[in-house]
Amino acid sequence: MPSHKRYGPLGKTVTLSAGLMLAGSISAQAQDIVVWGGFPELTDYYERVAEGMSDDYPDLNVIVEPIGLRDHEKRVALALSSGLDDATVLELIGSTANRYIVNDLLPPAPSGVADFVNDGENFEPFFRDTATVDGSVYGVPLFRGQGALFYNTDMLAEAGLDGPPTTMEEYDDYAAKLTQRDEGGTPTVSGWSLRLSGGGAGIAEKFWINMHQHGGSVLEQVGDKYRAGYANEAGLAALRQYVNAVSGDKTVSIDMPADAAAFQRGQTAMFIRESWVIGDTEKKAPDLNYDTALLPRGSIALPVNLYVSGGSDKAQEAAWAFAIEANKPEHLIWMLDNVGWLPNRVGVDYSGVIEAKPQFSAFVDLPEDYELFTLPSIEPINEILTRFAAKLTEAFADPSLAGDDEAIMAILESSAEETNAILDRAGILAE
Amino acid sequence: MLRRKKFLFAILAIIPTFVIFGWVRMFPIIETLRLSMYDWNLLSKNKTFVGFSNFSQLFRDDQFLDALTNTAIIAFGAMAVTIPVSMALAGVIYHRTRSRFAGFYETAVFIPHVVSLVPAAMAWKWIFDAKLGPLNAIIMSLGGEAQAWLFDPVLSVICIILLVSWQTLGYAVLIYLVGFRNLPKSVYEAARLDGASGIQSFLFMSVPLLKPITLYVSVVTLISGFNVYAQAYVLASDTQGAPGRLVRVLVLDMLENSFQNFRVGYAAAEAVILLSIVLVLTAVQFSLLRQKGGN
Repeated sequence: MPSHKRYGPLGKTVTLSAGLMLAGSISAQAQDIVVWGGFPELTDYYERVAEGMSDDYPDLNVIVEPIGLRDHEKRVALALSSGLDDATVLELIGSTANRYIVNDLLPPAPSGVADFVNDGENFEPFFRDTATVDGSVYGVPLFRGQGALFYNTDMLAEAGLDGPPTTMEEYDDYAAKLTQRDEGGTPTVSGWSLRLSGGGAGIAEKFWINMHQHGGSVLEQVGDKYRAGYANEAGLAALRQYVNAVSGDKTVSIDMPADAAAFQRGQTAMFIRESWVIGDTEKKAPDLNYDTALLPRGSIALPVNLYVSGGSDKAQEAAWAFAIEANKPEHLIWMLDNVGWLPNRVGVDYSGVIEAKPQFSAFVDLPEDYELFTLPSIEPINEILTRFAAKLTEAFADPSLAGDDEAIMAILESSAEETNAILDRAGILAE
Repeated sequence: MLRRKKFLFAILAIIPTFVIFGWVRMFPIIETLRLSMYDWNLLSKNKTFVGFSNFSQLFRDDQFLDALTNTAIIAFGAMAVTIPVSMALAGVIYHRTRSRFAGFYETAVFIPHVVSLVPAAMAWKWIFDAKLGPLNAIIMSLGGEAQAWLFDPVLSVICIILLVSWQTLGYAVLIYLVGFRNLPKSVYEAARLDGASGIQSFLFMSVPLLKPITLYVSVVTLISGFNVYAQAYVLASDTQGAPGRLVRVLVLDMLENSFQNFRVGYAAAEAVILLSIVLVLTAVQFSLLRQKGGN
């Protein structure tokens, strides 16, 4: 008869403790890195990249923690100023990262990573420059936000419009023809959805894109200094166009559903946005008939790079390896196909995706004279745009401005004074 | 000797509490006061002493003045809504104490206070939605005109007042209920014998007798009103749909100045002003109610 040894409470405790210690030693061998992003739609992409590293880093544990962009920017500011424990891959827009780099809060990339970034066969100079400060590489370029016009092809056909608008005057004409109204004349489907409300820099950024089509720029660079560049004819034309759309032609109203959500639900006929809308629409409105078009003059291009901070040398090495892995062709093609953000790496064959989704062509087949611009890497950029946005939202909602160019210019001049005062305080105001 | 030992024990027992209080409560306040005198971008090792320059700039800053005005309107508005409504609700619930639904009434009123703020604000955002919201649907079914609740400069502030009041109401009702339960029953019986109606008893006896409770509720409501942030943030935010009008409030302005504009000293000066306002208003409320109570 077999004898069964009974363990008392002490024995159980010892066994449990030994088990926990063993588990602890196993987890201590595993390498943790964290990925912080401001674009939650990229979660699957980063998880896929992590899986791709499993052969070379079998004990690597990648924790992907994306949140909304504005909150992400706040947590990065807090974390970098107080220090990160874990090796963290940070997804940052180049102009945002610059302020951390000049304050020595982000380390330069190791030489192998720098060589990868500096290789002309991987990245064009525009994207290399956004990841480089004073000749040192600090980040690995990944993708960019670039705008194009999205338009509902069914609505254009119903309105008898052949092809997308190509000038800003045509944008107004198209918007008027595409707007659908109820019996009382109130718009129910906007002809051209504009960013008119909410808070933050995004409103001014969108205004900048439209103003660029009129030949202007919110900030003008003079040498290494800047000044407000919108209290002029281009600024007037852009703001007049917004005011006229809301209070003149009434092709859109402040309280109408807007942006990608409205486009996907058929509540707007046209809007300007980045390429992620293609991936998003595929998931949310797969039956929507739409196409994209180049903007009349050019577009903003906001390059997003991966940076590394915190953790041990070994963990940092794994984090940089993650940034390189993220740029492998198979992952980039997957990102373009499934998420829709435009990868920055050249020499990768994206043609399969572009053929299957011709809407991408307005983002990648760019004429030589198409002008791409980006936000300047200056410390007060967010404050300038946020304060300008506050003035713009008041102007958009003010019906008394319709047809009153003098009043519109007065708003632009007063806002430009504020912008110049901020630049002056930062010591970068151009004469 | 024993007395001295007891005293020493009491001191030793209280020291940890004082240390924790000093560290988590007093140190941040003192540090904020100090930072308000500096120009610091959060990232740099250098902090430049600028004296009261941050404060003088603030009073020339349209955005700050806008935030201050909005916050004051919201705080006083929420207090003006919360106190009478919570007192009346507490009165009704108290007089229905023997009802088997008494517990349900109390719980129903208190739930908004414990519900997480962001999902609650999201739900209200839908209620206030100009095109799809049930509020406009009800107004239109009654023959009224749909309102752009989250976009109109006045209505968007009213929406936040309603949301703040809805959240603070539960706590205020609970405190008033405690007050009602402690009121002397004999006074009400005497009043009833003298022919006072229920409403008269409420207005001329409950309301004055509940003054200490009203003082506490008004202080708590006002302070939470001045700290309003998430409500304004959620009602205005929507990256892909229809973001509402951003009602700028002090805490939102502070956060933006600290972590997006990297002007920590400037944001600290805002925090000092907010702290001063709350302290002054609390002192005024205490003195007013004490005076009236004394009279």
